[in-house]
Amino acid sequence: MAIHKPKQILLVDDDQLFLKLIEQVFKKSGFVCTRAPSAEAAIEILEKGGEMPDLILSDYEMLKMNGFEFRRYLMNDTKFQDIPFVFLTFFSDKDLMEKGLDLQAIDYVIKDTPINVIVSKVNNILFTVDKQRELSENEVKKAAKSLNIKSIPVKSPHIESFKVDFWHQAYHDIPGGDFIDFIKVNDRYHFIVLGDIMGKKWMAWFFTFGFLSYVRSAVRFAAFNNEYSTSKILQQVNAIICFDEVLKDILSSLSLLLIDSETNKITYSGAGDLPLLHYSLEADELNMVSSSGLLLGLFEEGNYSEKEIQLKQGDRLFIFTDGMIDFIDATGKKSDYNQFLKTLKPFMEKENNFTDIASKLFNNNLNEQVDDRSIISIYKN
Amino acid sequence: MIKVYKELDDILLVKLDIKEASLENGDAFKAEVIKLFEKQQKSIAIDMSSVEYIDSSFLGSIVSVFKHLISFKSELVLVGLSKDITNLFALTRLDKVFKIYNNFDEISK
Repeated sequence: MAIHKPKQILLVDDDQLFLKLIEQVFKKSGFVCTRAPSAEAAIEILEKGGEMPDLILSDYEMLKMNGFEFRRYLMNDTKFQDIPFVFLTFFSDKDLMEKGLDLQAIDYVIKDTPINVIVSKVNNILFTVDKQRELSENEVKKAAKSLNIKSIPVKSPHIESFKVDFWHQAYHDIPGGDFIDFIKVNDRYHFIVLGDIMGKKWMAWFFTFGFLSYVRSAVRFAAFNNEYSTSKILQQVNAIICFDEVLKDILSSLSLLLIDSETNKITYSGAGDLPLLHYSLEADELNMVSSSGLLLGLFEEGNYSEKEIQLKQGDRLFIFTDGMIDFIDATGKKSDYNQFLKTLKPFMEKENNFTDIASKLFNNNLNEQVDDRSIISIYKN
Repeated sequence: MIKVYKELDDILLVKLDIKEASLENGDAFKAEVIKLFEKQQKSIAIDMSSVEYIDSSFLGSIVSVFKHLISFKSELVLVGLSKDITNLFALTRLDKVFKIYNNFDEISK
């Protein structure tokens, strides 16, 4: 489900009266507006960071830096060059228009056009930009599908004596940096992998395959050698990543679990991941299970330790990425592990079925999603 | 996005002036700090007390700057983390990686 945020527009004009007037009309039409009384002020706003506007509407004729110079400045900076840019001008000079369009301005608006027409024009431009982006994303999605590459499995594995489920939601419906894998070695051993590449959307998604390939190889080699140690596997994956020219600057958290269906023992090692949550039915408590390892790719020595977890009948273990603990309230965005724990706890008493927990707890609209969200549940039958 | 607050002999004290540190401004942050480091060639302490929320993309940018600075035998030190962000650092063991101070005075001492 895509989230429709109000569109942000940066209005640049040295005519203060016009600037205020146009701002009022845009605000009435649901835009979030930022005003800049000069190109220099607009650059200062953009350079300050924060969220980039969806569109810049700038006057051409301004004192000091004019609209063309402003546009040229933005085009020379990769951070700003793709923000749709529209010129406002009093002139209907053909040469001037051509010069503006050479600077890859999307369009041109003559200033004495009725303001509501300007708003409609901007709305149309934004609609076209969104549509174009959606089409490009669909193309990449199609290409990925045809290559049959997945960073999230289609279904949960069947593991004797346990019930494994997962829930995943991509940020803004675009595949991102979270990845999940279930690796079956034989009927006795299953590995569970949950990772989170630091980044979002396509860029992070492309790197998930590099990380996943290394994890899968390290798990397979360990199994061939009959070495079932999650910490050794993590250490190996980390060492390879630190030497990988492409991946060494990319960081990822990882939770690696090994389920032994014969002894019912779970072994866990983590790399910069959030502590797992273990629900004990007997004590009716949700407790943290922490690991000591650092993010993959950070240092060659990642300090990976191993923890044994024994689930009793009716117990549940949750493994999740940081998107699950992000919330938005009246004061803004925040990450709050304890709040997630408190929200989850009441469901432990009432619900046995993970699908019910997922549909009631994670699909709610109480908090707007701010990142990929993934959670795996291991339930002991 | 970052402003130099004070220059000490061995470390630059800078302030990060954003409320939400996320994917939107992570790359710009990284570029600015590295540019500053290349000019000044000394360790950098960043006051993050105005940051209320940080996402994993921005954390990635901070860690990446940290790695860059250590490769030149310098440090990236963090200052004034909010309670939520301190918790996030502790939960993910990043508190073991960074030197973290409450304020600039603690560094100057």
